[in-house]
Amino acid sequence: MASIDEIKKVIVDFATNTKKSKFYFKDMEKAVQKVIPDAKSREIKKAATALINEGTLVYFSTGSSTMYGLKGRGISLETEETGKVE
Amino acid sequence: MSAEGQEKLWETKKYDDVRIYTDEEIWNYTDEDVANYKCKHDIPLLEQLEEGPWPSFVSDIKQEAVHRHKLAEQAPDKLLIPADVCDDLLGQVELSYVEKETHWKHGGIVGVFGYGGGVIGRYSDQQEKFPGIAHFHTLRVNQPASKFYKTDYLRALCDIWEYRGSGLTNMHGSTGDTVLLGTFTEQLEPMFFDLTHDLGVDLGGSGSNLRTPSCCVGKARCEFACYDTQDICYELTMYYQDELHRPAFPYKFKFKFDGCPNCCVASIARSDMSYIGTWKDDIRIDQEAVRAYVAGELKPNAGAFGNRDWGKFDIQKEVIDLCPAKCMEWDGKELKINNKECVRCMHCINVMPRALRIGTDTGCSILFGAKAPILEGAQMSTLVIPFIRVEKPYDEIKAIIERVWDWWMEEGKNRERVGELIQRKGIQEFLKVVGVPAIPQHAKEPRSNPYIFWSEGEVPGGWQRDIKEFRKRHPR
Ligand code: HEM
Ligand code: HEM
Ligand code: SF4
Ligand code: SF4
Repeated sequence: MASIDEIKKVIVDFATNTKKSKFYFKDMEKAVQKVIPDAKSREIKKAATALINEGTLVYFSTGSSTMYGLKGRGISLETEETGKVE
Repeated sequence: MSAEGQEKLWETKKYDDVRIYTDEEIWNYTDEDVANYKCKHDIPLLEQLEEGPWPSFVSDIKQEAVHRHKLAEQAPDKLLIPADVCDDLLGQVELSYVEKETHWKHGGIVGVFGYGGGVIGRYSDQQEKFPGIAHFHTLRVNQPASKFYKTDYLRALCDIWEYRGSGLTNMHGSTGDTVLLGTFTEQLEPMFFDLTHDLGVDLGGSGSNLRTPSCCVGKARCEFACYDTQDICYELTMYYQDELHRPAFPYKFKFKFDGCPNCCVASIARSDMSYIGTWKDDIRIDQEAVRAYVAGELKPNAGAFGNRDWGKFDIQKEVIDLCPAKCMEWDGKELKINNKECVRCMHCINVMPRALRIGTDTGCSILFGAKAPILEGAQMSTLVIPFIRVEKPYDEIKAIIERVWDWWMEEGKNRERVGELIQRKGIQEFLKVVGVPAIPQHAKEPRSNPYIFWSEGEVPGGWQRDIKEFRKRHPR
């Protein structure tokens, strides 16, 4: 069994290096299971929630669906509000 | 949802405990003021909409615009976002009508801390022209079961939203929750604080999570309710808080609870998992009351549709002939129902509620997969569980929910609703997931769902196939 900390580390690696700055839960789940095959989706969700609560990850929502992203990577609150992209 | 004890908050709390505006500030405009209102922007196309026979959202928004302009004069410190948010909203919508293009930016990272749902982030892409709606975020607020409100609560909610937002609401969104339309990012956390602390309510769901569950009025007022819709709605809302606030599903997921097949919250059309009350035993008949309907002593449909003279009540034409199962008979004295054939459509009970009642052995049917068109076309829910008891603490139902979620999270593609996954994988696989055996009703429409293959173990006696014997009769 993988520990939450290990899963968190893999998520952060993925969020930092993946081509897209926003990704679905499923993409994150697949990335984690590639490194830690026995990681369950519940554990991955727990790790993601912890990262959200720590302020490392942010949710991105269109209103109908939700994605995750690394805070400060790509879109930020400032660029979002002014429309100016870095 | 809310902290412990919050569900009883409004038993003692009063509007005056939290009110923001005085009576003079609330009732600060007349019909004449609204009629004379001139929007900051020219809106001829929107104003055409007001000419139709129905109430118009344009008139509603104008009314709120007048109210806010007056408030800005009376008590400018009591408006935390621009007074002309409504003017700018109308202006931008008009522009979109002219250009036939939206000027809302899609989505955002705004929300309240720790929650992945409940806030829908929206920004105008014409912020210089329409500064009042530069941000126009929507909040979804979890409605009480069956939407029972106290006026104290509603007035408090309106005050807070006037103060921190546009004052525009939608009661209610099609998901069922209270929709608060339009505020700025910096008001989101304070608004959430006020909702949870002063009003004792939580945000609802949006995005890829469990959406705010909703239910019909049920046992609170309705004699047709086959189970307590309010209780299970509240229980599952509380039990699945994590799924509601922290999205990790492929897409949205909705529960709706209808106490009977009349489907007052339209669960069959609007939820991924529809709970529809039903019964196993016979419709209860009071023959005397049936005769009273026939004699014209009781009004059919409890007097509904009574604004026109439909002539004398004709039980044959209005009930017996309309029974979809053709399982009723009236010989002039006695009504007979062949309950084995009855499909619980509710028609006869709705027409003669004093004479006919639902059975006493009650529970619900569970259907899956309704949705609006997104990846695939619209569809209604499909019957999966014909009958299940609906009893506290609902463990059997929770186990089914979790089996379905696990499967969908494992197999579903991004933005694929469970109904689409069932179509893609087949009802047969889904039945295995849920753990119910196939029955003829599962294959009711051969063209949308033509095949059920039985495995040897599922057929009594199984079968054996001897290929040599077979070839003797059927040479290659
Ligand atoms: C800023 C522009 C707006 C955008 C981009 C927008 C977008 C959306 C989205 C994404 C949803 C959620 C769909 C879902 O549940 O998956 C929604 C729901 C809804 N919106 Fe808007 N909306 C906007 C403004 C408004 C306005 C101005 C009104 C009314 C005056 C409105 C009324 C509603 C209603 C009634 C719902 C249904 C709520 C529900 O189903 O629970 N929206 N909108
Ligand atoms: C051993 C005998 C038969 C076999 C193995 C057989 C097999 C099939 C198969 C595999 C299809 C295609 C199903 C699909 O993918 O939609 C089909 C369609 C059809 N069969 Fe047969 N069939 C048999 C006998 C018959 C007979 C006796 C009739 C008519 C009297 C018939 C009338 C049709 C028709 C009209 C269709 C087209 C249905 C549609 O697509 O709307 N078949 N059959
Ligand atoms: S769905 Fe049935 S039980 Fe619920 S309110 Fe409507 S008629 Fe009554
Ligand atoms: S409920 Fe519907 S199907 Fe059943 S007896 Fe009445 S009319 Fe017929």
